[in-house]
Amino acid sequence: MTAGATRSVRAPSQARMLGPIRPRPRWLEFRLLGLVAIALLAGSLSLGATVTGRFGLFDAQALLIYIAALFGAHAAQVLAGRRTDQILLPTVALLGGISLLLMQRLPQDLVTQTFFGATFGLAQVQLIWLLIGLTIATTLGIVVRSDRWLRRYKYTWAAVGVGLLLLTFVFGTEVNGQRLTLQLGPLSGQPTELLKVILVVFLAGYLSENRALLVEQDTRLGPLRLPPLPYLAPMVAMWAIALGIVVIQRDLGAALLFFGVFLALLYVATGRVSLVIIGFVLFFIGSAVMAVLFDHIRTRIDIWLDPFADPLGAGFQVVQALHAFARGGLLGVGLGAGLPEIAGNLPIPEVHTDFPLAALGEELGIVGVVAILGLYLVVIERGMRIGAAAADDFRSLLAVGLALVIGVQAFIIAAGNLKVLPLTGVTLPYISYGGSSILANSLVVGLLLALSDKGVEPPPLPRTGSRWRRAGRRAAT
Amino acid sequence: MDGFLLVLWAVRLLFLGLIYLFLARVIRALLRDLRAAAREPIERSGRLIILESPSGEPPAGQSFGLDVITPLGRDVNNAIVIDDEFASADHAVLTFRGRSWYIEDLGSTNGSYVNGRRVEGVAPMGFGDELQIGQVRMRLERAMP
Repeated sequence: MTAGATRSVRAPSQARMLGPIRPRPRWLEFRLLGLVAIALLAGSLSLGATVTGRFGLFDAQALLIYIAALFGAHAAQVLAGRRTDQILLPTVALLGGISLLLMQRLPQDLVTQTFFGATFGLAQVQLIWLLIGLTIATTLGIVVRSDRWLRRYKYTWAAVGVGLLLLTFVFGTEVNGQRLTLQLGPLSGQPTELLKVILVVFLAGYLSENRALLVEQDTRLGPLRLPPLPYLAPMVAMWAIALGIVVIQRDLGAALLFFGVFLALLYVATGRVSLVIIGFVLFFIGSAVMAVLFDHIRTRIDIWLDPFADPLGAGFQVVQALHAFARGGLLGVGLGAGLPEIAGNLPIPEVHTDFPLAALGEELGIVGVVAILGLYLVVIERGMRIGAAAADDFRSLLAVGLALVIGVQAFIIAAGNLKVLPLTGVTLPYISYGGSSILANSLVVGLLLALSDKGVEPPPLPRTGSRWRRAGRRAAT
Repeated sequence: MDGFLLVLWAVRLLFLGLIYLFLARVIRALLRDLRAAAREPIERSGRLIILESPSGEPPAGQSFGLDVITPLGRDVNNAIVIDDEFASADHAVLTFRGRSWYIEDLGSTNGSYVNGRRVEGVAPMGFGDELQIGQVRMRLERAMP
């Protein structure tokens, strides 16, 4: 080692990093998107033949618009010439396409919205959201080259998130006994969907900065080794926020999702099982107390334990979903051939938001459900790979966290549909109907795409300011 | 009508089959990606970033490129001189062996710590791990490309 090896790190100049924009072919993505298009056309043919009784695509216009948009997004990425992930977009595109087929097949008057004097039905509204989501994901994947706006302002983002939550607490409108929807003029949305992305950004920033301190062992509590207590404070705060969501918003699903993602990220950052165990213990204690105190949570658990106790009342949704899975069997009854409405009502209430997996289970069978779960696994795998290849802790944790948000959410609602867990009202990512859900999950894809490019701005140097000095002194004493 | 039903079932199975074909293609691409990652040359070049140094030598924020064998200590013959009152003359040595970096404490008085855990003999160090010698805290990172 010579004196010359001692050097300070300087970020390469911006001009060299970016270089001129040159189109770069993405053949893998092109081939996969081609396969997605063919599969969706086959699905549409199957749906059309079942519904109309002769061979033809079902509502070909909407599907063709969707496929054209997919290739448009592909072309935009080719022209932008970035080395981003090529598997993520086709995978999500297939999930979105299945969603479109499902929404076309459900009664169109489930949701009607009027934009500029024209009234759109369920499938058309969903198509519009899918197109907007695709635009967001592609734009983020092309434009975002620096993570500084996320990294540096993590407390600002956290404040925005808490603000959104408080706004919903105060001004939210109640739908089905859950105070989730925030109405701002003509726009309404569910802030918890956006909140989950903000949560991951904040946790990635916080954990990457304090990772070393959380890993150190200072406090011992019996056989458990705990990190220094002040650094556990955010964990306790997180637990309190999750419980607050349950109490005030009555949103079990979001609480479960937030806490699950939080514990998973904590484990990824510190590698300490004791934290996860403590988290689970806290969660179960909290749930048990909640179940004693609040009726609506006890009802959920009762339904989960025995839906057939009240098959036409409280347990109706779950019982109908189980029947749907049973009717589907191995290969399903075919798209469009599921049970029609019973006396003007859907067999499963809220099938388009809470139970799309049950509908798909009926029409595509367990073979189809397994394939759909496989697609989610692919999304998670991509997130893990992007995280493993990332340049520093913040990007690793961000990528892993974003993928886990999708994975945990899909798991929670799939398990709810199948009566593995108590039913909670989260959406099935990319498949459920709903603007907020599709937009937030597109944000996730866009950020993952941006993170997967290695040729972006290098991570900043560690700060040598007061925080490190304070931390060092604490550790030295 | 039976012919129609037969073709309809064929189309239904075709749809499911195409989804599985897509999954198979994706998994093939994933496997190829993972194999390529495993074949990549092992990242042997690392650097040590000084995070905290009360005595000012080495100064905080400085980054050292690492040789395959990099001795650390208070003695001026060390590759990385740590001028700290709690550091020994020949304190520890960082070595690259096989696939990863290792820290070996050379019988120092106050010990070396990886992520707050005292090193007994030789301990592996991954990128991102923190090393503490005396009051000086350092982090092992990948060298900048």
